[in-house]
Amino acid sequence: MITPVQVAVQITVQIVLVVAGAPLLTGMMRQVRARLEGRAGAGVLQPWRDLRKLARKEPITPQGTGWVFRLAPLVAAATVLVVAAVVPLTGTTSPLAGVGDLFAVVALLALGSVALALGGLDTGTAFGGMGASREMTVLALVEPTILMSIFALSVRVGSTNLGAIVTRTAEDPLDVVSPVSLFAAAALAIVTIAETGRIPMDNPATHLELTMIHEAMVLEYAGPDLALIEWASAARLGVLLGLLASLFAPWGIAGVGAGLAAVALAALILVIKVAVLGALLAAGEVFMAKLRLFRVPELLAGSFLMALLAVSASFFLG
Amino acid sequence: MTPMTLMTWLAAAPIGIPALAACGYALLGWNRVTAWFGAAAAILLLASAIALAATGPGEVAWGLLRADSLSVFMLIVIGAVAVPAMLAGPSYLAAEVARGHTGPRATRRYGVLTQGFIAAMALAVLASNLGVMWVAVEATTILTAFLVGFRKTRQATEAAWKYVVICSVGIALAFLGIVVTHYAALHAHVPAAYALDGATLAAHAAGLDGGVMRIAAVLLVLGFGTKAGLAPMHAWLPDAHSQAPAPVSALMSGVLLSVAFYAILRVKVITDAALGQTAMRVLLVAAGLASLAVAAALLLAQRDYKRMLAYSSIEHMGLLALAAAIGGRLATAALLLHVLGHGLGKSALFLSSGQISQAVGSTRVDAVRGLATRAPIVAATFAAGLVAIVGLPPFSLFASELGIVRAGFAAGLGWVMAAGLLLMLIIVGAMGRHGRRMLLGTGPAQAGAEATPVARAPVFAMLAGLGACAILGVTLGPLAPVLRAAVTIAGGTP
Amino acid sequence: MSEGLYVPLLDLGCGAFLLAGVLVLWRRDLMAIVGLFALQGMALAAVVVLLGVHQADAELIAVGVGVGVLRAGLLPYLMRRALAASGEGRETQPLVNVATSLLVAAALAMLAYAVAQPLIRLSPTPATQAVPVALTVLLVGFFVLVTRRRALSQVVGFLLIDNAITATAFLTTSGVPLVVELGVSLDVLLAALVLQVLTTRMRAAFGGTDLDELRELHD
Repeated sequence: MITPVQVAVQITVQIVLVVAGAPLLTGMMRQVRARLEGRAGAGVLQPWRDLRKLARKEPITPQGTGWVFRLAPLVAAATVLVVAAVVPLTGTTSPLAGVGDLFAVVALLALGSVALALGGLDTGTAFGGMGASREMTVLALVEPTILMSIFALSVRVGSTNLGAIVTRTAEDPLDVVSPVSLFAAAALAIVTIAETGRIPMDNPATHLELTMIHEAMVLEYAGPDLALIEWASAARLGVLLGLLASLFAPWGIAGVGAGLAAVALAALILVIKVAVLGALLAAGEVFMAKLRLFRVPELLAGSFLMALLAVSASFFLG
Repeated sequence: MTPMTLMTWLAAAPIGIPALAACGYALLGWNRVTAWFGAAAAILLLASAIALAATGPGEVAWGLLRADSLSVFMLIVIGAVAVPAMLAGPSYLAAEVARGHTGPRATRRYGVLTQGFIAAMALAVLASNLGVMWVAVEATTILTAFLVGFRKTRQATEAAWKYVVICSVGIALAFLGIVVTHYAALHAHVPAAYALDGATLAAHAAGLDGGVMRIAAVLLVLGFGTKAGLAPMHAWLPDAHSQAPAPVSALMSGVLLSVAFYAILRVKVITDAALGQTAMRVLLVAAGLASLAVAAALLLAQRDYKRMLAYSSIEHMGLLALAAAIGGRLATAALLLHVLGHGLGKSALFLSSGQISQAVGSTRVDAVRGLATRAPIVAATFAAGLVAIVGLPPFSLFASELGIVRAGFAAGLGWVMAAGLLLMLIIVGAMGRHGRRMLLGTGPAQAGAEATPVARAPVFAMLAGLGACAILGVTLGPLAPVLRAAVTIAGGTP
Repeated sequence: MSEGLYVPLLDLGCGAFLLAGVLVLWRRDLMAIVGLFALQGMALAAVVVLLGVHQADAELIAVGVGVGVLRAGLLPYLMRRALAASGEGRETQPLVNVATSLLVAAALAMLAYAVAQPLIRLSPTPATQAVPVALTVLLVGFFVLVTRRRALSQVVGFLLIDNAITATAFLTTSGVPLVVELGVSLDVLLAALVLQVLTTRMRAAFGGTDLDELRELHD
């Protein structure tokens, strides 16, 4: 029996983990890169210090921008928060059963991206528009892939509810090595990289406007708004990595009706899993160059193909 | 010697003798004496085929070979084309060597590969197992690849590349068709050891799964059709046939295409019993008309006479496809007769075209003028071959084409036949025009063309072949019982 | 072998087989393409050995090992040697760009699935259900053959088709009779050798292996 207390505990744990942990994840990834490149690095806490500094600044909006510009960071942050609350990160108890659905989650994340793109357009500057257009291109290529992967994963379970999918995988570990799951994992991994604007799609640390995608879009933001955006993108990465971990390696996740201790253990395991994934991603970025923009569609077409193969495999091998 | 072992020896001879000759070439190379090995092997092959026809058909040898009347008939065709082609080989190669186009290594390879090629064709028609038949047909592609690329020029290399890639891929599809047939057979409770045996499959065909056999039929026709040069999978044929040395072109055009078509006939017996006649008829009518149309379109403005002959082969394969589509005794008999007549006529044409190209030094129609006055003997064989191949009496192709058309109208394929006849008329006109330009008129005042001596052996062989073709147009003679039995096997149930 | 382990392993082998096939479309580096081909050969051999273990058929296991030696060892070795001799490392510019080819491959997978339906219906075992995988690779092989312009890419396309047909044979009926299998393997090996020699000649005659150069013969 799921008690309201349990649900509240789980939601709180997940939100706290994401809110507090996301900047730490970014910090850790930067640290891993720095160490691999032979630098000392700024320390894991640096993103939090940056956020604090930005938050203390006076809010400034460029002339001629309207409510769209001011609202965009809020929408981006809010959608990530909702997603963090409903996805099964620490436990499969779906607190808001109707919302903890892959479609809903994808739509919420896309809403955040669209809000930021509109904010970028609202400034009327060249870079804002260019970044928004590129972000939308990537998004348009990413969406079908995500939908396909979802189909593939949900065929086996008969439901698109994330909790159900994770429960099924946790119960039947051999499913993870089936072609369906491997193709879908590969597709979703590529999509995650694209969605969060990492190498080889985009370079989060670039200072060259011509190659930017995500950073070009948010070029005009400053102060607390920028802090919110920075936090939202970090949280987005954290949530997506956590979701990947839950979908394809759901070991240690708390089942239905688990006690507080189990939730705490699950939270610890989640932190470890996401940290490992993040470290791998950072290490991969060190050894990889950013793709030229016109090769991005190739990679995304490849991920779409994988997702489609996952769907077909789930039909003909099932 | 008991009849059983005699049968075994006779059935193994058409494969073994050319294979032995190939070994001979590998060991001894090509010289004045060994040059005639090939001709001797071909004559022995023809003799053993005739002996097989005389002893009557039978099951033989390790369960892998079966010499039924259809196989024996195809063996006779192989022998009848191989003899003139092999007789022409020595003089052709001597001329090539004299011009410095080739050297001792290449001639040795030519000897080994042509004999291997003939052995593979004999295996293809004698194999009782569809899989072994496929292996033999694919082996012909591999063995002839370097014969097509014999000259090592840019054109020859290009032709060989296209030939190997297109034919290997096409034939791979046929293998998939065989795999699928095997699958259907195992699920129709055909004993596993005989699941690819042509005769066993034909006997069990009614039990094969329809949906699966439909896939198999399409794949098999596509695959073997590629090798038989049926449009639209014919792209390799004009290139390969025009670049190969003349004796090889004669073999490829005269029999290799027919051997591939023989594979379709074998398969058709099975699919007709499993699916009814319509399935194959649609495929074959489409391929046949497409082949005729392609040949007609490209013959009209053809400027190269070897390519002209190649397109004519596509036309005749199209006719065979139409005949197979019609089915029934008359059409099947006409089909088999057409195979033999086409082999005899086309080989004579290719061999004389080889002599023309060696005399003139070009394969362009424009380059050959007034052949009748410059080289009367070659001109005569070429002209006779042309008359035979466009299907004029007294040659047997006239009789067989007439038979196909009559059977077609009788089977209710009137519109198809009408379209086919129109296309054939265009082809006859085009080939007649090109032939007239080559044979008649006054040639350019060129010394040397007349000076080239014409080797006697191939001319006699060609004349004998054309003579046989003409006689077949009047009477089948001793071939009649073999042909009748072969028709029954090829599905000519009345 | 228990049914519970057999089916996932079979699916995994077929998945690897498929993945290696479609990744050939993705890569431009010819050496990487040959590597993928070798990987596919290994997956194919693994599937055959698995079928042999499942049916407790020693001959099938031996054939599987043979398939592995030919398709993961010998053929890739030949291609690597040809590649090293040529010094041409990359597919220049395929006729259809990579993103489009990947989408086409997706469509081909659907087509293969549709075409294979009658085959599955006849006997829906786990092995037969994987036949669409083999047919997808077949169609991808065709696509590579038609759209790539390097001689070696075409050879890979041809061998992909051949791998796919072999896979179909083993998945549907645990292989054709041994004598046919031997003949087919020999034919494939010889065809690859012939194509390799022709590539060398092509380089001597045309100064490269770009198939666009093959324009001497036409009507």
